[in-house]
Amino acid sequence: MSNAVNADQFKQSFREEAREILVDLEAALLELNENRGDIELVGRVFRALHTIKGSGAMFGFEDLAAFTHNLENAFDEVRNGRLVVSSELVDLTLSALDQIRTMLEEGAAGAPAADSAACAAILAQVRRLTGIPGGRQTEKKTAAPAADATEGKMFEWHIRFAPGPDMMRCGANPLLLLRELRELGGLSVKASMAAIPPLAELDPERCYISWEMVLATAVERDAVRDVFIFVEDSCELTIEPAPGPASSPEQSGNESALECEADRTARALKETRTLQGGRRSYDALDNASSLRVPAAKLDQFVNLVGELVTVQARLAELSARCGDPEIASVAEEVERLTSSLRENSMNIRMMPIRATFEKFRRLVHDLARDLDKDVELTMEGVDTELDKTVIDQLGDPLMHLIRNSMDHGIESSTVRTARGKRTTAAIHLSARHSGASVLIGVSDDGNGIDAEAVRLRAIDKGLVASGAQLTEAETYALIFQPGFSTARTVTDVSGRGVGMDVVRQRVDSLRGSIDVTSKPGLGTSVTLRLPLTLAIIDGLLVSLGDARFVLPLANILECIELTRADIESANGKHMANVRGEIVPYIRLREHFSIRTPRPEIEQIMVVQTEGGRYGFVVDQVLGNCQTVIKNLGRFYRHVQLVSGATILGNGTVALILDPERLVQDAVRAISHSARGRPAEAALRAGGREGKAAAQTDS
Amino acid sequence: MPVSLEQEGALSLIRLQGAIDIGCAEELKGLLVQGLKTGSEVRVRLAEATDLDVTAVELLWAARREAKASSVGFAFEGQAPEPVSAALAEAGLENFTATGETK
Repeated sequence: MSNAVNADQFKQSFREEAREILVDLEAALLELNENRGDIELVGRVFRALHTIKGSGAMFGFEDLAAFTHNLENAFDEVRNGRLVVSSELVDLTLSALDQIRTMLEEGAAGAPAADSAACAAILAQVRRLTGIPGGRQTEKKTAAPAADATEGKMFEWHIRFAPGPDMMRCGANPLLLLRELRELGGLSVKASMAAIPPLAELDPERCYISWEMVLATAVERDAVRDVFIFVEDSCELTIEPAPGPASSPEQSGNESALECEADRTARALKETRTLQGGRRSYDALDNASSLRVPAAKLDQFVNLVGELVTVQARLAELSARCGDPEIASVAEEVERLTSSLRENSMNIRMMPIRATFEKFRRLVHDLARDLDKDVELTMEGVDTELDKTVIDQLGDPLMHLIRNSMDHGIESSTVRTARGKRTTAAIHLSARHSGASVLIGVSDDGNGIDAEAVRLRAIDKGLVASGAQLTEAETYALIFQPGFSTARTVTDVSGRGVGMDVVRQRVDSLRGSIDVTSKPGLGTSVTLRLPLTLAIIDGLLVSLGDARFVLPLANILECIELTRADIESANGKHMANVRGEIVPYIRLREHFSIRTPRPEIEQIMVVQTEGGRYGFVVDQVLGNCQTVIKNLGRFYRHVQLVSGATILGNGTVALILDPERLVQDAVRAISHSARGRPAEAALRAGGREGKAAAQTDS
Repeated sequence: MPVSLEQEGALSLIRLQGAIDIGCAEELKGLLVQGLKTGSEVRVRLAEATDLDVTAVELLWAARREAKASSVGFAFEGQAPEPVSAALAEAGLENFTATGETK
């Protein structure tokens, strides 16, 4: 029973590793399509296929291994110069990757089976390209390892491999790894039996044998390491350049060791090896380690930290009330530790957006082919990190934006040429941090949005009145309405008016916002503003009457007093003079219709938003607080000005304000009340002539 | 039954049939212990085995070592089938079953 569980865990581990390899493989293939003579890329593709095949067979994915073997053959032919990289080969391999992905998930609940007819068709075409009939194995590298030598260089690696004690229980077989190694070159193997205990003490399911090997090969150390990729975390493995001809595994002279000259080729190759200058230190690599943890466990961990933060707030409240210095000291220490734990746990969840962006290379490649357009995908800020939960939600909106861009935004090559544009169109993905948010951009250099067409279509669909005057932002916002599309025809790619609605819904669910800019004939840029995290943030607790609110600390620049004298000197305008800079402010008391008497001296929280600096006027600043973000629930999902709620130490609830949306809301209110006047521009300017358009003090 | 023990007087004959892997490792261990305890000679018949995995090799290795230490005869009977000897050779153990009797 436990063996079966372990085997399942190991299979799952293989699935996870293989998924990552497939992502890298896909990226390498697309890159290879652009640089068809790049030997390094060919090697990368070959190694990835080889690893998936070898490890797949080891963990019981025989069909997957057999299927992948044919692709590996094809790229072996490419490596050996017998086959050239063509778009047909790349496309076939990309299609094959889709099938491999399905095969990987086979057996999981609800997972579809691989399309056997499609697999057979792919293999038939691969075999036609390679000329290698089905079932034929690639010639063993042991037979002619020198033929694989890149630039004639040969290596001799001394490998020590001690499987982890549970390797057999996990369903893995170390002998298959040795077989894999043998495919890379000439291998001499010595098994060490020294660790086998007396029979009575021997755990019959445990692996005690270790191996010392010398591999004479044309491949670099990383390729050798790839053989062990799925067991490396649980075994002892060293791969070092063999010191010299006498470096074959030493004779131990006792019966605990046996040597097999399994492949005499290894010895012959020692004569010809050229290691000078080729040795590298891999100590750093050996010390590097990482741990794979299921996302669900991480979520649970962060939830527990969230609970701890809430309890810590209660402790702080209690300590403040009872006034005992000893308890206060403990409470402070708990707060410090909780804060540190929170920061660390949140960091664990942060992931670079690179993988999310990279997977769109394939989409752009396939769509460009299907739509017969020439499109180049570029990326910026791929190392920008954001919470895994946010990243997980980003795939669909980005896919729809790219599809829309490719189908409607980007013109055909002919049209582009006629317009004097570069034949190759550009789609640019970008990511960058902005305060407590991350900005994800999708831009293209296509047609741009025809604002008038959008307006007319909206009138036609009854979304706006025929005489309505819409700002540019309001007009572009219409494209995210359900069922809205200006496309005259529905294609396989877009045109049903569904995709952009999905974008809006997903961004809304993430408490994010969408900004669209477009220039006719020059292109469109869509920016998604998303919170960095949906779990715990640093906040500043403020009061407005009896209510408590939290402002994200990352947005706050400073806090200044607002006296009645200040208000009077501003002639009733909502403007504050902050060391000579005029900053427009929003009175939250009025914005939220809080009618209790206001204090004599109020506080302006100066925040940085995308639109510039703004002030939020509150009654009091109560201090920093670690804020566990709780969802407001379905009933309040349309409340735009708050990004959630949090439970305070005294058990009451405080709403978490969203500075960006507050500013947008205020700008919109002014814009509607003074239609036709440049209200938005006025607020954005943070002063100058537009200030007159800002609200007047009541 | 992939592993079985036949007692013929002082001879303990352990027969291995089919693939001898982790699934029968516990049983093989029991038979080897029993065979070493009851007989003055242990023979392991490999002719019907199709594969030996690492756990089987370890057990046979430990049993042979124990036999030698306690002056019990230990030998592999007959020629190992080709797949078994090939697997052993791949593991760097090509002489494992060819070492003859030890006492």
